[in-house]
Amino acid sequence: MGFGDLKSASGLKVLNDFLSDRSYIEGYVPSQADVAIFEAISSPPSADLCHALRWYNHIRSYQDQKNSLPGVKKPLGQYGPPGVADTTTSSVPAADSKDDDDDDIDLFGSEDEEDAEAARLKEERLAEYAAKKAKKPALIAKSSILLDVKPWDDETDMMKLEECVRSIQMDGLVWGQSKLVPVGYGIKKLQIGCVVEDDKVGTDILEEHITAFEDYVQSMDIAAFNKI
Amino acid sequence: NMALRELSSLEKYLGLKKPNKYSTQGDKKVPVLQNNNGPPLVGLVTIACHLVKEANRPELLGDSAESRAVVQQWLEYTVTKLNSCTKEDIKTILKDLNLYLQDKVYLAGNQFTLADTFMYFGLHPIIMDLAFQEKEQFVNVTRWFDHIQHYPGVRHHLSPVVVLRNRIYTSRHH
Repeated sequence: MGFGDLKSASGLKVLNDFLSDRSYIEGYVPSQADVAIFEAISSPPSADLCHALRWYNHIRSYQDQKNSLPGVKKPLGQYGPPGVADTTTSSVPAADSKDDDDDDIDLFGSEDEEDAEAARLKEERLAEYAAKKAKKPALIAKSSILLDVKPWDDETDMMKLEECVRSIQMDGLVWGQSKLVPVGYGIKKLQIGCVVEDDKVGTDILEEHITAFEDYVQSMDIAAFNKI
Repeated sequence: NMALRELSSLEKYLGLKKPNKYSTQGDKKVPVLQNNNGPPLVGLVTIACHLVKEANRPELLGDSAESRAVVQQWLEYTVTKLNSCTKEDIKTILKDLNLYLQDKVYLAGNQFTLADTFMYFGLHPIIMDLAFQEKEQFVNVTRWFDHIQHYPGVRHHLSPVVVLRNRIYTSRHH
């Protein structure tokens, strides 16, 4: 978790998005979570980040009570949306004093053995981390689903209906080809395919989202379902 | 009677030891509280404000002259406009509220007040009936509503309304 770099515009955008449907960083009352994030930000969010700005002004009004707000301050990476790391640089620069300027020639000399060892370990760990990150999980269960989406009548705008269906965005859902199939009385149904990752998207949630477009969609059926 | 249930919920929020006995008058069933020390109190907002003072929680009516005025404005709005609105009015009400709440966490100032309580009561049946994409369209109203229904001690007689946290219809990758 985290917001990226809270001192940068991109981090503030993540914060803004996160706060669009939340009043506070955690829970439903102001807490140390809000204090922690508030203190990590270097300047008030700009007016276009209206949710972050709303939150910022609200938390600022608690400035004199901030020590008595409930909870415990945690590291920034414990807050925010999952899947985003915290990369906020602390205001104290890392102490990196170079006390030995004469080690350019003999990098693996005796005095530098410890440093070399540490450097090698770090390289190893970085390589391991990169390998882990690059490794794709072996098998993701996927299914190919063909959906029949039926309109109310022959006057329903099928292009708009298709637009609505394709506007449904979910992690693990990819829309495929579609076609209009006549079903009689001038009515056409939209037959559209999609590929879903089984643990992320189920047919009932797809049905919920599709039938939510009540103005266009009368019903949805599964025409075909195949495991890939 | 909805008004009486709202008053009962308010009493629970305020932690009043003894619940009051209310009667109603007229065909609109306006709540009435018989006051031992004087004339009866008539009206939802009148009684609610009285309960708040009885419970010694004046901050629930606003902590500054300005926020006190704003609280009264919203209480009046709830009772006059919201509780008797038609289906056509709903979209306008939600649009106006959505704009108003863009830069606010609570209806009046930076503190929870009675205005939030009664707006929550009044909006509940409306929000219950909103489709997912409408809840996302009125993102600020939804945020505020979800916040108030979770605020400690507020929700008593009303069922929780599910608010999807992961937005589906609006793009989150800018």
